[in-house]
Amino acid sequence: MTTTIILLLLVFGVYLVAVLEAWISSGRFRLTTPILSGIALLGRESIVPRKPDRIFFEVAPVLLLLSAVLAATVIPLMPGLIITDLATGALFINAALVYVLVAMLMAGWGPDGAYAMVGGWRFLGQLIAYAMLIVMPITAVVMRAESLLTTQIVVSQDGLWNIFYQPLGFVLFFIAAMALAFLPPFDLPTATGELAGGVEAEYSGVRLAVFRLGRLTLIITLASATVVFYLGGWQGPWLPPWAWSGIKILAVTVTMLLAGRLMPRISETDLLAWCWKLGIPLALLNIFLVGILVLVIP
Amino acid sequence: MTAQMFFIAFFGLAAVWFGIAVFRTYSMVRSALALLFSQTALGAMFLSMQAEFLGVLQIMMMATEMSIMAIFMVMFMMDPGGLSTMDMIHQKRLSLLAGIVSFLAAVGVAVFVDWGPVEMIAPDPAQQTIALGLELLGRSMLIFETAGITILTSMIAAISVAIQPVKQNTVPTITGSNHHEH
Amino acid sequence: MSIDLLIALITGAALFGVGIYGALSQTNLVMIMMGVELILAGAMVNLVAFWRYLHPDNPAGQMFVLIIMTVMAIEMAVGFGVAIARFRAKGSVEMEEAVELKG
Repeated sequence: MTTTIILLLLVFGVYLVAVLEAWISSGRFRLTTPILSGIALLGRESIVPRKPDRIFFEVAPVLLLLSAVLAATVIPLMPGLIITDLATGALFINAALVYVLVAMLMAGWGPDGAYAMVGGWRFLGQLIAYAMLIVMPITAVVMRAESLLTTQIVVSQDGLWNIFYQPLGFVLFFIAAMALAFLPPFDLPTATGELAGGVEAEYSGVRLAVFRLGRLTLIITLASATVVFYLGGWQGPWLPPWAWSGIKILAVTVTMLLAGRLMPRISETDLLAWCWKLGIPLALLNIFLVGILVLVIP
Repeated sequence: MTAQMFFIAFFGLAAVWFGIAVFRTYSMVRSALALLFSQTALGAMFLSMQAEFLGVLQIMMMATEMSIMAIFMVMFMMDPGGLSTMDMIHQKRLSLLAGIVSFLAAVGVAVFVDWGPVEMIAPDPAQQTIALGLELLGRSMLIFETAGITILTSMIAAISVAIQPVKQNTVPTITGSNHHEH
Repeated sequence: MSIDLLIALITGAALFGVGIYGALSQTNLVMIMMGVELILAGAMVNLVAFWRYLHPDNPAGQMFVLIIMTVMAIEMAVGFGVAIARFRAKGSVEMEEAVELKG
C-alpha cells in the first residue's frame, strides 16, 4: 500500500520535473510536453548500433532507472510513509546511487561508439570528484542525528534545520548531488554540444525513453534526499507534513535545474582539481565543526 | 527451507557464477563488470545474513572499486573489447589443479569440523550498528587508527609511484638560451 | 550443524578456489589482482558466516570484515600505482615479461 502510494508520487514527481525542465530550457510552460514526447519516443524506431556489447546496451537504461527507484525507497515523505525504513538508510541511498555510475559505464561502453565511450568514462572522472563530497556531508548529518535511520535524521532537525546548522555541508552536498545527476554545469557525460549527446547519443526509441525516465527519477530522488538531510523533511508550521515535503522537494528541484544556467560546463580537470583540493578539505572541516557543535550543544 | 536459506544460496550461487564468468569471457570490460556483480551478490548475501551495515558497505565500495578497475583494464590491456578471441593464460593445468584442490580442502574443513552450537537469532540492525560503532572507537580503536594511517601512507605511496616525473629543464646559460649542456 | 552455515562456507570455498585459479593462471597484472579480490571476498563471506551463526553478539567479527575491506582498497590502490609505473617504463603490464629486476 505504501509502496504504491510512493511509486505513484514518484511518477507524479517525474512528470513535474519533466515539465519544469522543458519550461526552464525553452521558456514555454506546457503540461502536455512529457506525455507527448514520451509517446513519440515509444513510437520511434529503435536503432541498434552495428556491433554493440549486447548485454551492456540493454541493461544500462534499466539499471539507471532501478538504482534511482531503489534510492527512493528509503526516503520518508511523511512520518510513516516510507517503503523500507532500513536501519542503515542514509548509507543505502549512497549505495544505490553508485549504480548510476555502473549504468553510465555500461551505456558508454555498450554501443561501441566513440562519443558514447568518452561520455561514459568522463562520468567516472566525475564520480571520483563528487563521491567524497556526497559521503562526508552525509556523515556530518548522521553525526547530528546519531543514527543512520532517515526518519531519525528528519526528527533530529526538530529545532533547527541542518541547512542552518551545517551550511557548508549543504553547499557541498548540493553541488555533489548536481554532479551525480549530471545536471548542467556538470553534464559531461551527455554534453549536448560537445559530444553530440554523449552517452544518450546511441540510444533511440524505447531505450531512450527509459534512459530519460531514469535520469528524471534520479533528479527527483536527489532532491528528496537533500530535503530529508538538510531541509527538515516534513517539518513546518501550519500545513500538513506531506504538503511541506512536496513544496520543499519542488523548491530544491527548481534550484537544481536553474543553477545550471549560471555557469558554462565545467571541464574534467577543473572539476577534479576543485573537488579534491578545495572540496574535500572543506568537507573534513565541516565534519570537525559539526563534531564540536554536537558535543558542545546539549 | 526457510526464506533466509534460499536467499543465501541464491546470492551465493550468483556470486560464484559471476566469479567464474570473470575468467571465461574475452572482453575485459565485461570481466571487470562481472567481478562487480559478483561482489554485489556477496553484499546481498551479507544483507540476507542480517549483517546490514556490512552488506550496504560492500555494495557501495565494490561498485566504485570495480569501476576503477574497469578503466585500468581499458588503459593497460591489449584487447579491451574482446573481439579477437586470444587466450591469455599460462600454466593452465597447474592453476586449475590448485583451484580445485583448495576448493575441496576448504569444503572438507567446512563439512568435517564441528563448529559448535549455532545461534539462529541475530541482533537488530540498529543495535548492530551502535555496537559496531562502540567497538570501533572503544576496544578496537588502535586497530582503526593504524588502519587510518596505513590508508594515508598507501595513498601517498601510490601517488608518488604513479606520478609522472616533472621534466627537468636544461640549465640556462649566461646568455639566457636553453642550449643543452654536454 | 546448520545448513545455512554450510551453504555460506561452501560459497566462500568456491570463491577462494576460483580466485586461486585466476591469480595463478592469468598473465596480466590487472587480472591477477582480480583473482586476489575474489580470494579476499571468499574470506569475507566465511567471516560473516562465522559471525552470524556462531557469535552474533560480538561485533568484533564485523570489525574484522571492515579491516579486510580496507585492505582490499589499499591493495588495489598501491597495485594500480605500481601498474602505472610499470606501464610507463615498459609499455605493458604482462607478468610474463617481468622477469628482471632491472628497469
